[in-house]
Amino acid sequence: MTETFTPTRPIWCAGCGDFGVLEALITALDELQIPVHDRMFIAGIGCSGSLQNYLSCYGYHALHGRVLPTATGVKLANPQLTVVGVGGDGDGYAIGGGHLMHSFKRNPGVTYIVMNNGTYGLTKGQASPTSVTGFQGNTEEDLDPIMLGLSIPGSTFLARGYSGHPAQLLQLTLAALRHTAAGQGLSYLEVLSPCVTYNDTYREWRTGVFNIDSEDGYDPGNRAGAFERMSELREQGRLPLGLIYQGERPALESLALNPEFAAPARQDLNDPGLAAGYREAMQSFIR
Amino acid sequence: MSGSKPRLEDLSIIVSGQGGDGSLTVINILADVLRSVGMRAYTERDVLSRIKGGIVAATLRACHDERLCIGSQIDLIVVFDLFAIRKQAHRLNDRSIVIYDSSGGGLPDDSGVPEGARVIGIPFSRHAVRMFRSDIYKNSISSAVVGRLIGLNDDDMRAAFEKRFGRRGAEALKYNLDALAVGHELADEVGLAADEGLYEIVSADSKPHMLITGNEAVAFGFVVAGGRFFAGYPITPSTDIMEWLQKWLPRFGGVVRQPEDELSVINMAIGAALTGTRTMVATSGPGLSLMQEGIGQLGMAEIPLVVVDSQRSGPSTGMPTKPEQSDINLLVYGGHGDFPRIVLAPGTPQECFHITVKACNLAEKYQLPVFIALDQGLSQNLATIDPIDEGQVVVERGKRLDAESLAGMAVYKRYAFSKDGVSAFAPPGTPGGMSLVTGNEHDEFGQVSTDPGNRTRMMQKRQSKLQSMQADLPRAVTHGVETADIGFVGIGMTHGVILEAMDILAARGVPTQYHQLQTLWPMLDETPDFTRGCPCVFVVEYNATGQLARLIVAHGGEEAHIESVLIYDGVPLRAEDLVQKVIERMDSRRHKAA
Repeated sequence: MTETFTPTRPIWCAGCGDFGVLEALITALDELQIPVHDRMFIAGIGCSGSLQNYLSCYGYHALHGRVLPTATGVKLANPQLTVVGVGGDGDGYAIGGGHLMHSFKRNPGVTYIVMNNGTYGLTKGQASPTSVTGFQGNTEEDLDPIMLGLSIPGSTFLARGYSGHPAQLLQLTLAALRHTAAGQGLSYLEVLSPCVTYNDTYREWRTGVFNIDSEDGYDPGNRAGAFERMSELREQGRLPLGLIYQGERPALESLALNPEFAAPARQDLNDPGLAAGYREAMQSFIR
Repeated sequence: MSGSKPRLEDLSIIVSGQGGDGSLTVINILADVLRSVGMRAYTERDVLSRIKGGIVAATLRACHDERLCIGSQIDLIVVFDLFAIRKQAHRLNDRSIVIYDSSGGGLPDDSGVPEGARVIGIPFSRHAVRMFRSDIYKNSISSAVVGRLIGLNDDDMRAAFEKRFGRRGAEALKYNLDALAVGHELADEVGLAADEGLYEIVSADSKPHMLITGNEAVAFGFVVAGGRFFAGYPITPSTDIMEWLQKWLPRFGGVVRQPEDELSVINMAIGAALTGTRTMVATSGPGLSLMQEGIGQLGMAEIPLVVVDSQRSGPSTGMPTKPEQSDINLLVYGGHGDFPRIVLAPGTPQECFHITVKACNLAEKYQLPVFIALDQGLSQNLATIDPIDEGQVVVERGKRLDAESLAGMAVYKRYAFSKDGVSAFAPPGTPGGMSLVTGNEHDEFGQVSTDPGNRTRMMQKRQSKLQSMQADLPRAVTHGVETADIGFVGIGMTHGVILEAMDILAARGVPTQYHQLQTLWPMLDETPDFTRGCPCVFVVEYNATGQLARLIVAHGGEEAHIESVLIYDGVPLRAEDLVQKVIERMDSRRHKAA
């Protein structure tokens, strides 16, 4: 076996919620038997954006906020890869917030996991888009990206987990990867992942979370119902966990790629069979 | 028919009216007919950043020999709007012919048309509305009149119409053919009979020419070079590249995406490039400014990407439809930190094709961003060129590893130090090639590192590509008399103008030479050498600060030999104007010397 890079020990603080996400991902990818060379991780900037260094994969450390467009480019060029985007709330909701909306609409075959700790930990604790009002002088309302996702008709998989509930987090991670593997497009999983150093929310979240998975009669296939329930829970100051919405819509790559050809990354560019088409393109400037 | 008629050698036609009048359509139809009968054609557009209204113009030069610019004088003008004639009158002379839309009355006394010019009034608009209930058919009607006037065969005109409008459905074709027939009747009425045109059209050679813009040639080159992923955001004047690829790339299994902004464009392209797919983006100055962070990422993480910049007038939003070459500094120096890059500059559609192929190969071989510097003129002006031999294209993929070659290696390091600065690439999905790619400084495995020794070596590794690529970079093309005391340097849309100015000067007994750069960065020694060897070098460029001249001087060019010719008013330079500037500057130099 060829020696490649050795996954290192995480740089995260002891007790960081991101450990739970890493553990869930390693377990889920193994359980789904995805070979390490078919795993492509696209990571953002921030503490969570170093996750790709801690497991065996093809890893890419994206520019700040650009996880989703990058991951979309990867998937379109080579749909055989299992593409997982990882990053934090600053990366995904602030500097990269515009891409989130368009990615819901676009529905690429990517699993996107946002480790939400409500702060910018790596730069020492500034307010982020999901910080509650009052945190570090924050005068803005916190953003609920699940409700944003529900409001965009193209979204197909919206879930929220919590590092403090590892069993449910593993199930949600598996469900997200399976949704995308089944050709249903973007699976979006937000994980409440406390920053023990700058915004230790374990205590608030332990009592504040609400497990929608175990609520009788909740239907994750009903977008309007999901939106209504999310609004109610928010009014009550609760944080819903679980599979919040799952719909059906073909993934972007199944609509954007020409099925008569190998995927862009897998084409033989020196195939002599291409010559006739090139000649036709040339002739189009003469005829 | 008539042996006494002059042969069509060189004719410049301008069609002008309000935006939306279809001036560009008339010119494009005529260019296509001229191409089909073996003449050379070159067109230029003078449009505004609005969908309709304002005075716009399209110009066509029909030549027996190749000319890649518009002539200094206008021989024939077609105007749909009386304001248009006032705007263009200064370019007419007493031999010019004016055809105007007389639907609203005769030409006013203060039209500015020179005395002696032949003036023909035809109520195009009135006929169009009466016959077809739509003003827009005046462009088909007027095309017929112009065709008659210059001596194009009615059948050739009809064939061009069938080709152009046939694509738009049977009804569009019928109405436009009817409009053509109306135009021919109106031509008969004003005494422009068939076979009695001004010129005899003799084809230059029998082989068919391509009619193509620089943008189209770049897009075509990308496909043939194996490009399979393109992302873009609409921006004048680069958008045609995306539009051509939207039509053609899927036919080869490629993908074209138009995401939400240029940040998404460059990062989506990076994603595709990470998989080993040949990828390109195209934009103009404002978009390139937004992409800068991504450009640095390409340099640092060693990702191959071709970036096309179709330059327009800046700064900021500037004049979006007007030409400039004022992104040279951004192309060469843009982005934070130090990283290697290549900047190439074609001057003709033919070169656009070949340079794009070259750019794709260089990007993959050296794993870095390769820019193609275009400008509005080169991007959008249509020209006839000899057919491109696309079968000769060679795809060079650089150091790529597959599972088999990896299996034979004890260890794989994505950023392994190497003599030429390039490390082998294993596309994601290849067993045994797992790697970390990052914009952080990293060690050979791609692990983040701030070790000073590693940092120094990694920086040197990346920078060393600038040396190892030298033999691979396109050399300047030289034209004219090698020993001449007057030289020119230029890129992009200055090319055709410089060549014509050289011909005019040669005819007046003034020999000149011309160093047409192909590689702007890294600057090859040949360019500063040229300015040292030639006592007076006119560096012609479309910007206010002499960005190209400064770049040459910064690399050892002889400042005292350089005369900067700077254009930044948004108006394309004409050869006669350049000749005038050369003569004035030479006189003033002689004056100073004496």
